Amino acid sequence: MRTGTDKARRGVLMALASTLVLLASQVAGAATVGPVTDPLGVIRIPKGAPLVIGGYWVLSGPDTALGLDEKRGVEIAMKDEGGSLLGHPIKLDAEDDTCNAEGGQTAATKLAATPNMVIVLGPGCSSAATPGAPILWQAGIVNICTACTAPALTAPGRKPEYDGFARTVFSDSEQGKADASYISKVMGAKSVVTVHDGSPYAQQLATVMADNFEKLGGKVLSREAIAPTDVDMHPLLTRIASEKPDVVYMPIFTAAAAQILRQSKEVPGLEKTTLMGGASLLSADFIEAAGPAVVGFRIGYPDLSPEAMGKGYPKFVEEYKTAYNEAPISGFHANAYDGAMLAFKAIAKVAKTDSAGNLYIGKKALRDAVFDTSFDGISGPIKCDQWGECSQFKPSVLEFTSGDPKTFAIGKNPKKIWP
Amino acid sequence: MSQSIVARESWLGAAARINAVDIVLWALRIGVVLVVVVGTIGSLIKQRYTGAQWFDFVMFGLTIGSIYAQIALGYTMVYGVLRLINFAHGDFMMCGAFAGYFVATPLQNSGFLERSPVAGMAAILAVAMVVSTAVALLTERIAYRPFRRVIGLAPLICAIGVSFFLEQTFRGMFGSAVKAYPTPSWQRASFHIGAVAIPRIDALVIGLAVVFMALLYLIVQRTRMGTAMRATSEDPEAAALMGIDVNKVVVFTFVLGGAMAGIAGVFYAFVYKQVYFFMGFTPGIKAFGAAVLGGIGNIPGAMLGGFFLGLVESIGPSIFLDGLGIPAPYQLRDVIAFTLLIMVLIFRPQGLLGERMAKKRA
Repeated sequence: MRTGTDKARRGVLMALASTLVLLASQVAGAATVGPVTDPLGVIRIPKGAPLVIGGYWVLSGPDTALGLDEKRGVEIAMKDEGGSLLGHPIKLDAEDDTCNAEGGQTAATKLAATPNMVIVLGPGCSSAATPGAPILWQAGIVNICTACTAPALTAPGRKPEYDGFARTVFSDSEQGKADASYISKVMGAKSVVTVHDGSPYAQQLATVMADNFEKLGGKVLSREAIAPTDVDMHPLLTRIASEKPDVVYMPIFTAAAAQILRQSKEVPGLEKTTLMGGASLLSADFIEAAGPAVVGFRIGYPDLSPEAMGKGYPKFVEEYKTAYNEAPISGFHANAYDGAMLAFKAIAKVAKTDSAGNLYIGKKALRDAVFDTSFDGISGPIKCDQWGECSQFKPSVLEFTSGDPKTFAIGKNPKKIWP
Repeated sequence: MSQSIVARESWLGAAARINAVDIVLWALRIGVVLVVVVGTIGSLIKQRYTGAQWFDFVMFGLTIGSIYAQIALGYTMVYGVLRLINFAHGDFMMCGAFAGYFVATPLQNSGFLERSPVAGMAAILAVAMVVSTAVALLTERIAYRPFRRVIGLAPLICAIGVSFFLEQTFRGMFGSAVKAYPTPSWQRASFHIGAVAIPRIDALVIGLAVVFMALLYLIVQRTRMGTAMRATSEDPEAAALMGIDVNKVVVFTFVLGGAMAGIAGVFYAFVYKQVYFFMGFTPGIKAFGAAVLGGIGNIPGAMLGGFFLGLVESIGPSIFLDGLGIPAPYQLRDVIAFTLLIMVLIFRPQGLLGERMAKKRA
């Protein structure tokens, strides 16, 4: 009798479990909704409902300008698109990722849980993208990154959980190579010390630069590391001074970089050493944080001069100024604009409308469309390779000319000194 | 014969009492001591740094240490009187730094800070102390007093809540970007003693910190209010029975702690130049470590703990890790500082100077 009950109970449980598995496979797996069949599922946007685009950028803290600038780039792209796509108003749902792994994870989880999230743009920091992109792709959401440049994100042979990740920004493997070549050939430096802050961006860029610098015959005296929250850099700088490097290469973020820059003036032995940073430092906030010590500081950066950018760039800058009453506050607005445009073009390519006016987008189809779309963006030609690298890189070096944050203007302070 | 058996048995008994945890703990202690000794010898043999550079390391350590010490005093006094870990104390410091910023910037822009450094600094410090003290007093009155008789973790959680509240309020009011403190030219100068150069701001910060701490010590040891404070910290009920107004003592404690936090905030910002809403968190945690290291509740202990932590952070990576050939040692400075802190506490659980108080209470 007892065995019989057990058997019956087990049978019910089995049935329940298989129903659940079936349900789950329906939610996550292949589906046909309306006129669209897609192996990863279909997004259905009812007639008149907004087409929700997600975004995650750093929108608070010392690196706010970096993220806000990209968000504005996306907002201008939305405006240029007429505010709607295929008859649906475009709605941007932007989250703050605070430029770190925890923030990226939280923001991506929130965006992945938003019903009918079509595509996600951002982030600005590789440390947020590294955990964020897999979370989004698990939900079948494509992520077009607008400023995260860590090489691993689009490196050949990357892990499958990054399959849904593409970026309209260059890889630091290019930036690091260009910086090494500038330091070695143009500056004529023989020795460098690199400093990173443990973030994927800084760590990978510093490594790529150092490796290429060694290949060019230079000497890497040491590869230092700090925590992004460190404030007392004097001991580190005294240590670096004991090695007498020609160049200190420090592609780190605003607060720590400003500390190093200011304190380097107070440490004996560094008078002849040149400091050079990375793209994360192109903002008025950095000038504010570093003060007068910023004059003469150089950063390796993709070439933003109008002759190097795409045709539409000057018009975009005018639009930016009209919309926000200031010139671009950081350097990745054009990449963000192109990222949004890539998303819109890909959506327009694959979305289907039924007779009632509802919109259907296949998730896998959208991913393939993003990787397959090419156009002339305002940051240059956009065309993705199979690992999601969609941007082309033209190097330049910028030098800050004034410690007054009000004078910040890309091209003037900092001004382009190479090529 | 029988004697040897007894000896053997007692030895066996002792061996049986040693368990795996003891062995691991002893291995840990020996390991740390080995790293310290071998690393130090290695660094000294390598002769990577000159005497002047070692001197610089010590100066940097004393500078940050004096700031930790001043913040630690606030922790230790409040703990002594209320048995409360005031996690918002680092944020009192942040409030002081912000207040100082809003005085220092116009003074610098008008040229006053350049012309009259003493009057300028006095004004900045005074405003910072007033603001920090006011915030500390409001916190005590609104957030801590209702928890005075509550036993358990609620007061601690409340303190953490106050910390978040202050951070987010300042973020809301003044934005999240880093603000830069002005650098008057007299601060950039340094004076030379023989081959070594001492930056003037470092000397000023260490000197004034020592003066303020000595003053605080005198207040606690020599005044009636200070005596009342110590009595309350020994036994609040007996103190109340002896006619001491415990509320007054608590308020006085927060006044002293708040004022010290204000001074620490200004010094911190003048040395490290940056103010932003989250700046109080890390120094706050470290100063709490310093207070525990010195023996929480003990005032000279907090000062000693602060200087110890500052020095280890500054010199530790160069002296212990350079000699062992470990690359990028500075990213491990907090690890070194807190490992040594833990080691000290393993050997002296009551902290460096914690004993006297414990004996008195016992």
